[in-house]
Amino acid sequence: MAKTELRGSHGPAPDHVLTRWIGIENLARIGVYEKQGGYRSWKKAMTELEPAELTNEVKISGLRGRGGAGFPTGIKWGFLPPPDGGPRFVVVNADESEPGTAKDRYLMENNPHQLVEGILIACRAVSAQQAWIYIRGEYDLQHLAVQAAIDEARAAGYIGEKPYGVDFPVDIQLFRGHGAYICGEETALLESLEGKRAQPRSRPPFPAVKGAWGRPTLLNNVETLSTLPWIIEKGGAEYAKFGTEKSHGTRLFTVSGDVRKPGNYEMELGRPFRDLIEGMAGGARPGRKIKAWWPGGSSAPVLTGDLLDTPSDLEALAAAGSMGGSGGVIVADDTRCVVRMAYRLVQFYARESCGKCTPCRVGGNWAVRTYERVLSGHGTADDLALFDRVQSGLAAGRCLCGLGDAAGWVIQWTMARFREEYEEHCLRNECSVEGGGRAQPLPSTAASGDLPPPEGRKLAHA
Amino acid sequence: MPDAVVEKDPNSATLTIDGVAVTVPKGTLIVEAAKQVGIEIPVFCYHHKLDPVGACRLCLVEISPGPPRAQTACTTPVADGMTVKVTSAMAVKARADILEFELVNHPLDCPVCDKGGECPLQDFTYRHGYPVSRVLDARLHFAKPLPISPTIALDRERCVLCYRCTRYYDEIAWEQELTVAQRGVESFIATQFDEPLQSVFSGNIIDLCPVGALTSRVWRFQSRPWDMRHTASVCSKCSVGCNVNLWERRGELMRVTSRENDEIDDGWICDRGRFDYADVNDERRLSTPLVKGVGTSWERAIRALGDGIKGRGSKLGISLPQDLSNEEAFLFKRLLDGPLSGARVKMHGRTALPPPAGEQLRIADLDQLKAIVVVASDLREDTPVVNLRVKKAVRRGARLITVNPSEIDLDRHAGVLHVRAEAGKAAAALGKLHGHEALAAGPVGILYGDGRGAETDLAGAVAELAEATGARVMPLYRATNERGLMAIGVAAWEESLEGVEALLSWGPPPAAGVPRTASFHGAWDYLPRPAHEGADVVLAGTSFAEQLGSYANLEGRVQFLRPALDVEPPRRHGWEVLSELAAYLGLPFSYAGVGAIQRELAAAHPELAAVAAPPAPEPPPQPVLLGAARP
Amino acid sequence: MSVERAGETVPETVVEEIRELPKRFQPGSRSAVMPALDLVQEELGYLTPAAMSQVAEALEIDPGYVEGVASFYSLFHLEPVGKHHFYVCNNLSCQLRGAEEILTHLKDAIGVGEYGEISQDGLFSCEPVECLGACEYAPVLRYHHRFHYDLTDAAVDKLIAAARGKRRDGKD
Repeated sequence: MAKTELRGSHGPAPDHVLTRWIGIENLARIGVYEKQGGYRSWKKAMTELEPAELTNEVKISGLRGRGGAGFPTGIKWGFLPPPDGGPRFVVVNADESEPGTAKDRYLMENNPHQLVEGILIACRAVSAQQAWIYIRGEYDLQHLAVQAAIDEARAAGYIGEKPYGVDFPVDIQLFRGHGAYICGEETALLESLEGKRAQPRSRPPFPAVKGAWGRPTLLNNVETLSTLPWIIEKGGAEYAKFGTEKSHGTRLFTVSGDVRKPGNYEMELGRPFRDLIEGMAGGARPGRKIKAWWPGGSSAPVLTGDLLDTPSDLEALAAAGSMGGSGGVIVADDTRCVVRMAYRLVQFYARESCGKCTPCRVGGNWAVRTYERVLSGHGTADDLALFDRVQSGLAAGRCLCGLGDAAGWVIQWTMARFREEYEEHCLRNECSVEGGGRAQPLPSTAASGDLPPPEGRKLAHA
Repeated sequence: MPDAVVEKDPNSATLTIDGVAVTVPKGTLIVEAAKQVGIEIPVFCYHHKLDPVGACRLCLVEISPGPPRAQTACTTPVADGMTVKVTSAMAVKARADILEFELVNHPLDCPVCDKGGECPLQDFTYRHGYPVSRVLDARLHFAKPLPISPTIALDRERCVLCYRCTRYYDEIAWEQELTVAQRGVESFIATQFDEPLQSVFSGNIIDLCPVGALTSRVWRFQSRPWDMRHTASVCSKCSVGCNVNLWERRGELMRVTSRENDEIDDGWICDRGRFDYADVNDERRLSTPLVKGVGTSWERAIRALGDGIKGRGSKLGISLPQDLSNEEAFLFKRLLDGPLSGARVKMHGRTALPPPAGEQLRIADLDQLKAIVVVASDLREDTPVVNLRVKKAVRRGARLITVNPSEIDLDRHAGVLHVRAEAGKAAAALGKLHGHEALAAGPVGILYGDGRGAETDLAGAVAELAEATGARVMPLYRATNERGLMAIGVAAWEESLEGVEALLSWGPPPAAGVPRTASFHGAWDYLPRPAHEGADVVLAGTSFAEQLGSYANLEGRVQFLRPALDVEPPRRHGWEVLSELAAYLGLPFSYAGVGAIQRELAAAHPELAAVAAPPAPEPPPQPVLLGAARP
Repeated sequence: MSVERAGETVPETVVEEIRELPKRFQPGSRSAVMPALDLVQEELGYLTPAAMSQVAEALEIDPGYVEGVASFYSLFHLEPVGKHHFYVCNNLSCQLRGAEEILTHLKDAIGVGEYGEISQDGLFSCEPVECLGACEYAPVLRYHHRFHYDLTDAAVDKLIAAARGKRRDGKD
């Protein structure tokens, strides 16, 4: 099988914290990884620093969770209660399923030892002796790569009873997900790890206190943990030199959709998105203009094409009316109908809804049916009101977790920022985007305009 | 000099809900605190006996101090100084929004749905929801109704996925035959592999379901709740004595539902108590006494009965039902001390356990135990709702050791220690438990049965283990009023009535059949039975639904039956019949009513002193309905 | 209390493997259910009621529980699938790069009218799935535990042609 072409940042560069060694042949082999300097941070963590110092370095670094919530990592580490003699866990969220996001996959397949090293450092910091990597079931190759890295690390004695002769037994195991986006939500992931239907828990209690199997648990994203070896090697203060005052460091963005060079690009936080989307990803397709783009996975409120100069730090995104999210940047140009894209995304949320809470379970499906009606040419003013009604029913704490919130935001912000398209669809049953600039009756017969099938999966019962 | 500080109870918290101050113990959930001041916070998924999940989102309220988003009142415990707003504009709208979502796929079945009239969805929508539907599409459809057992029907379209039923099964009954299938809006409640429910605890999901998704097939389409009169009574199917409501309409017993008593049943009843009542309404019920199969007057029948049983001494056998009331038992005792002296008495369903000695465990005490030993009994078969209570204790952290020849229902828990002792050898197995680490850490309880007659010397071994571990014991009597009859002295342990020449069977005929040696058989029963074919006298009796009297449950707790149905003439109360019989046999009773019997009984048997003081009938519970503006 | 349930079962060797699974996890937890179902699906291609009962028995939990968990996750199939099953992403990034056309072409090429339907020869089936996490290579499909990138109709045809000689586990 031909080696897959790397699409993204790799090799040394001043801001290549995560991707500095990617591209080196056989980096997944421990010998090669160590030759670059790998596992020196783990050694330092075990032999030169106390666990509390590790946490301190991470606090100084200002590293924030790269999974989606952006919570300061060092502070999160501090939430676990002092050890009481019972089991404690680090659980790695490798369930990456946010649309438009492929960075964790990129890191796991290209530099699995970096992740393993990062996990070990986190374990030491919070005195957890067992780590579980919850990896989505579709990542078969990546699963093998990480398992191989764990096996090599174990053979080298870095994982085991006494790494570097220190009495801190530590082990890492992999657990396979089986196709549920909701497992990216921390507490749903824990439910799945416990062998249940993955429905989020009410919080409090938080996982730090009562997590996996009722025990104190630290959950972190793959990218977050992969950053740790660099931070421990060079110090938190060095990391803090990157980025803005509140969003330190770099981040690995996935850019996909209507761009010339989709890929996983590492960029310093605070630089404008234009540098990422046009600079690194080649910008819009020939002759096209960027119309809509999601800065952080589909769960981040959509932004308009005139906002490409928005800085990429989390505060600037919030100020622009969106969020950093997963860093999965999806770009759509002016040939794309926003209503249709919104439909596909809301359908995604409806399909992935776990069904526990009423607004997400019912609201998502209600919105999907409304979109179907509108896109088939039967929309009315009532449907405009209905979109708004569903969206507000999903807002402001109504739902048990962020999935419902995100579904609501897709509707809310595509309507707020592309109102004319919704009005055209609902009030006039036309779409000028798919008519190539000319108002065309719905349903359209444009090449990429086929409606996704309403029911992709067969019901097993009833 | 410091100002005087008011002493505050450190275990309580004071908060205001919609401006009303309320003080409750710390850890109380906001929904419960609101009930105390009559403020209704609607809930579907929340149930006070299940772990809160915050799933339905119906109980959203504004809390300060707190995050700006609405919070679920069912998962949030109170905090001192907290302010909760239930009727603020935001909370009112949130509730109406959630109710609207619940109704998006809910069918307009009210006219044909058995839940109507006692349906929280109806009530909450009326009080808190939008008056008009905005749904323009077809609703989600499922095949319905789906019989998921002979007694329960499932309607997936009505289901609001509050998960109370599956959580009950998982947390309380520890069974998984009812599950949720699929995900998201395609989720539905299902039975494992579409097979019928088997559990004896399945019926509780009918009471739990807040909509008409789970309904009783036994009661289907029979009446509306407001057309029925309900009476607070006690179940008569086993020794636990769960509290029930008997519902009557036009002289028929319509249904039996649970009536929460946290001392005993925690709000659950088993399917025997819930569904086994059809014969009360059977049109073949006896009403006229029969002598040699021919209807006759009571006077003639009682004379015939008296002639048949008097003067037989030990050649007379008396078979008593397990649910004989204390009052009737007392009258039997008087007869046995008098004209029927010497008769052999066999009580149905008796265990081989001796009368209780020493301090016993009460059912509610199980909650506080740290270790429980269950010997020689499968609680699920013998005392079903106590089985659930033990499971509750184990969920709270109690260790569990079971001693039984074969697997019992409690063994399904991962942490249970099962000791397999051959039938008859349980005492020896108990001997080996002395000093076991599981029994060292706190209050211990020992529940012991009779292995269905296999264990006859267990009480001693139990007492020894109890002494060694400081445990209290609970002998597991099985028959409904075994304790009562033992206290009164009519429950002698008779193996069989073989050899008697005359048989008086009170209640259902003996399981072993009428002894062949009996040349005379007099029966008192409420239904005709095959065993009555050759009976000399059959007196028309009453069922539990007409019974007025009392039982003592396995704890020895006296509880009172109240009749849901009137005794229809020519039928008579059992105690009236016994009084007439006694008079004919030369021992006139002069009881004006049941109360008089109870007073005399109480004086004669101090263990049953409570019989003399039946409580006044409880007033019907007030619905918690106040509050909430319409949006 | 053994109930006869429908469908194929897995061999005893797999049941043995399943029995060993709980050792990896906290005692008393049900975590082993997921990897157990995985082993069954690898063996049979999908989850039959009989095999789920085997899992339940081996793990000492109720079959209803196993069934409930299995039906929650998209990767678990409770109905048979073709010997060669295609998972084609049609989430936004892939959709923008022609996923719908790939799906239409695929259905046509394998000869099915609907997703989940198995082709006449029993060999093929397909379904659209949500984001596979390889957006820079869109459009993407997953097939026999491997991703295939930069899909075109021709690339799909090539996979189908090659499949006709393969075993169910995707090897030649």
